[in-house]
Amino acid sequence: MITSASDTENPVQVEIFPQRFLKPETAKNLINELSAVDGIMRAFVHGPRLPIEVPFGPAKGEIVDHKFREHISVADEDLELTVLVGRIRLELANEEVKQKVQEICDRVISCGFDLKEGLFLQTKQTVSDYARRGPDADPRMLGLADPKGKVGNRVCLLRSME
Amino acid sequence: MAYEAQYYPGATSVAENRRKHMSGNVEKLREISDDDLTLVLGHRAPGSDYPSTHPPLAEMGEPECSVREVVEPTPGAKAGDRIRYVQFVDSMYNAPATPYFRSYNAAINFRGVDPGTLSGRQVVEARERDMEELAKFQIETEMTCPALASLRGATVHGHSLRLPEDGIMFDMLDRCRLENGTVIMHKDQVGRPIDKKVEIGKPMSEAEAAKRTTIYRVDNVAFRDDKEVIEWVHAIFDLSTKYGFKPE
Repeated sequence: MITSASDTENPVQVEIFPQRFLKPETAKNLINELSAVDGIMRAFVHGPRLPIEVPFGPAKGEIVDHKFREHISVADEDLELTVLVGRIRLELANEEVKQKVQEICDRVISCGFDLKEGLFLQTKQTVSDYARRGPDADPRMLGLADPKGKVGNRVCLLRSME
Repeated sequence: MAYEAQYYPGATSVAENRRKHMSGNVEKLREISDDDLTLVLGHRAPGSDYPSTHPPLAEMGEPECSVREVVEPTPGAKAGDRIRYVQFVDSMYNAPATPYFRSYNAAINFRGVDPGTLSGRQVVEARERDMEELAKFQIETEMTCPALASLRGATVHGHSLRLPEDGIMFDMLDRCRLENGTVIMHKDQVGRPIDKKVEIGKPMSEAEAAKRTTIYRVDNVAFRDDKEVIEWVHAIFDLSTKYGFKPE
């Protein structure tokens, strides 16, 4: 039952933590550059949500039209930014890829950032995941989206696994 | 010699700013017109009369009461205005005010106000015209930086988050925007679109915000650097502990 997305040689997980929230243009540049790097197996973009409508309060239902909610194009895929990018977590094939990530961040992020190594993405299927997703769930999807949400809407496959 | 109120101990710039906010002796930095203020508060249409919940006090015939004779009603109470609110959010990144100091400012310098202090936001309820007077004062003076503080009646999330690259505190409802170096509001405080863009003012530079803030931060003025404040905090803590101690 236990399948791991990290069943490779020496997987490394890192988190890019900019000192400021990235505007869509910077986020686009960063994600685009990262998408061109070989050896990034999984990526997770995290930040505060940008709703389409006001979710509660006296203005409930009004269209927000947020300045940061933009469509960006990453590796020929059209993505809508539903969050303001605050941190990006990556699962990398090995330490060498981390060096490339560091170089890209140095080049693209102008406001300063931390690159931390640790365990940021789920690697093993839990009992709850098994109950929710069944025995044949794709291990790459673990920890990438809210299990209660619609996975298909939020997870994007940029390159198919050979 | 006349007594001068002493509001806050300390010799640092943060302590001095705290004294300024509490005493109401703050510098006016910008102007906002009455109509613009009404528009962003969103309680009534600009230029319209204040709706009332009761007739003016003069027409009501108040009962004989020594307290009523001593205490002059506020203009809003006199006219029978509705109770309405204004709510501010201040960023943790060196915003000039904090919820506590907005409340001190309101409670010490304005009458008939009911300040509510929360961790990330500060609300004041008062008769409508009294509330507007307070809101105008706090927006126009150094208590507010248009980039690091904003009017948010609902969905206040953002005060403890990192700033976006443009330096304007994150707002999920996108009420404030930076346009040509000036912060404008194109929605009212709860997120309803308004007819015109209201200019709130130019954002403070990082250095100016650090100079005017009432927040102790290790990357600016650390709390531990203010020896007199520490001394008083210890003294108050000591006294409250001793007076709270009740051996049976």
